[in-house]
Amino acid sequence: METNTSYDPSFAREVFENVDSGEEIKMCMQCGMCAASCPLREHMDYPPRQIFSMIRAGKRDMVLNANSIMMCTSCYTCQVRCPRGIPVIDVMHGLAHYAISKGILTRKDTAVFGREFWQQIYKTGRIDEKDLSRRYFFADGIITGIKKSLQMARMGIIMLLHGRMKILPEKKIKGIKSLRSMLDKAMQTGKGGSEV
Amino acid sequence: MAEVEATNQTLLVVGGGMSGITAALEAAEAGYDVILIEKNPYLGGRVTQLYQYFPKLCPPNCGLEINFRRMKLNPRIRFFTLAEVEKISGEEGNYNVTVKLNPRFITEKCTCCGKCSDVCDTEIDNPFNFGMDKIKAVYLPHEFAFPMRYVMDPSIVGTDEAKKCKDACKYDAIDLDMKATTFDLNVGAIVWACGWTPYDASKIEYYGFGRYKNVITNMMMERLASPNGPTAGKILRPSDGKEVKNVAFIQCAGSRDQNYLPYCSGVCCLASMKQSTYLRDQYPDCNITIFFIDIRALDRLEDFYTKVKEDEKVTFIKSKIASITEDEATGDLLLEGENTNTGERIQMTFDMVVLATGMVPNSLDLESAPSVSKDEYGFMTLDPNNTGIYGAGCVKRPTDVASSVQDATGAALRAIQSVTRR
Repeated sequence: METNTSYDPSFAREVFENVDSGEEIKMCMQCGMCAASCPLREHMDYPPRQIFSMIRAGKRDMVLNANSIMMCTSCYTCQVRCPRGIPVIDVMHGLAHYAISKGILTRKDTAVFGREFWQQIYKTGRIDEKDLSRRYFFADGIITGIKKSLQMARMGIIMLLHGRMKILPEKKIKGIKSLRSMLDKAMQTGKGGSEV
Repeated sequence: MAEVEATNQTLLVVGGGMSGITAALEAAEAGYDVILIEKNPYLGGRVTQLYQYFPKLCPPNCGLEINFRRMKLNPRIRFFTLAEVEKISGEEGNYNVTVKLNPRFITEKCTCCGKCSDVCDTEIDNPFNFGMDKIKAVYLPHEFAFPMRYVMDPSIVGTDEAKKCKDACKYDAIDLDMKATTFDLNVGAIVWACGWTPYDASKIEYYGFGRYKNVITNMMMERLASPNGPTAGKILRPSDGKEVKNVAFIQCAGSRDQNYLPYCSGVCCLASMKQSTYLRDQYPDCNITIFFIDIRALDRLEDFYTKVKEDEKVTFIKSKIASITEDEATGDLLLEGENTNTGERIQMTFDMVVLATGMVPNSLDLESAPSVSKDEYGFMTLDPNNTGIYGAGCVKRPTDVASSVQDATGAALRAIQSVTRR
């Protein structure tokens, strides 16, 4: 880590004001429970505890470019165990959302997957596994799409055999309009709540 | 015994631990009549279970003996063991208290010869040692017990076992027909000193207390180190009785955690450091690791922290341990966490783990008692509109023995002021 000891509160203020659940990090006492509980700890640049510490220290670029903020799988282990009741997942997703809104795409795949997932929920109210995979795989063009599809072909067949994926398209849920109005409302309330 | 004289100038002290004993003695020595009641069969409370005090590392029995002697010499104190408050009615200056006296089944004639215990075959978990060993169902609570008298577990009363014990007693000190009785007291003021209970560590699921034998609590460690404990003072790990070479202390086990015990008990850091000296005295080669969030050794007690830190066999690591996993074959324990100073992942194996659990105030809730005000964590607060009942010691805040004694002296003065105002 850098040994720059100067303290710059401007980034912390930026996070408190613009990031969904950003103010929650004020509660952090740096115990490391989140870091030790995280199943993806080995793959992250910095665990949540360090991200929170870096926000306070004003390390804007390091935080927004960290792969960690887009790596959270919402397993909730850290959030359940946090001794100060910080919604760690909400903060991590909030930071990811904020980074994307600033044009920082450290993990493009994650962002694309999130976008496609969201759009499908918005359209039909449920996830169509094959349609979601198709959109996700082919987001970077046909050739990478075919490559990625072939890699996952075996998984696809197993899912088909077990009835986890249907050949026919999924239908819209009943009351899709009510769901959409709820989602619209949610989009308006969150900080920085623009479409991904 | 049911005739207990008391007036509205009498003080009642509920709880015969260090705080209760102190409040009772200070008031009695100032010339007031005091009645002290205690629910255990012995006085002294949690302090009797400790091996040494921090920071002086001296044995608590010494101070207790002095206090017991003061009590014996003072005719103004009357005390009852195995007694509980059932009901309090009335108001400051004129309380009516119903006290329930549970049967001991052993009378004052007991000489502690131990014959009843010798013939008794039934064994029960020893509550004094947190169930780490068994005792006979007729027993002396511990060897410094005051009053020095045996007690019979109610579970064997009515069986042939109990009759066998009665027949073995040469002094006719066993009364199997003893029943729970109640009596009423008229008192002017009450000192509430009902103490604390160690936080139930089995609630912290990821530490495996109760499932893994070698995960113990700090109070169990006190018993393991005590010469009158389950291992006669030798610190051995519970699963196989082996000597320990590598021990971890986990600070804030449940404490400072919204999901468990939200506050800091203020003594566990010092208790763990004190217990590290127990280990170092017995095992010169033993490695000790203390995992902490912050070390809270306040005021002059920081000197003790400095002293322990100088020991090269004691390592302090800033981390809240996230999980303990037991190796079933060896009973060793794998600890995982994040070293928050370096950011490195911790994966370390230990022979034994001591959880530094916090203090939970004992309940104040009584049916039809005058309401006592409490804070959000259940500790008693002083309500200026509701005088007459005064807290003392750990029922007011988690604290060490020295502060409890000071606090109890203050509570005794408040209670005296309350009755002299009448």
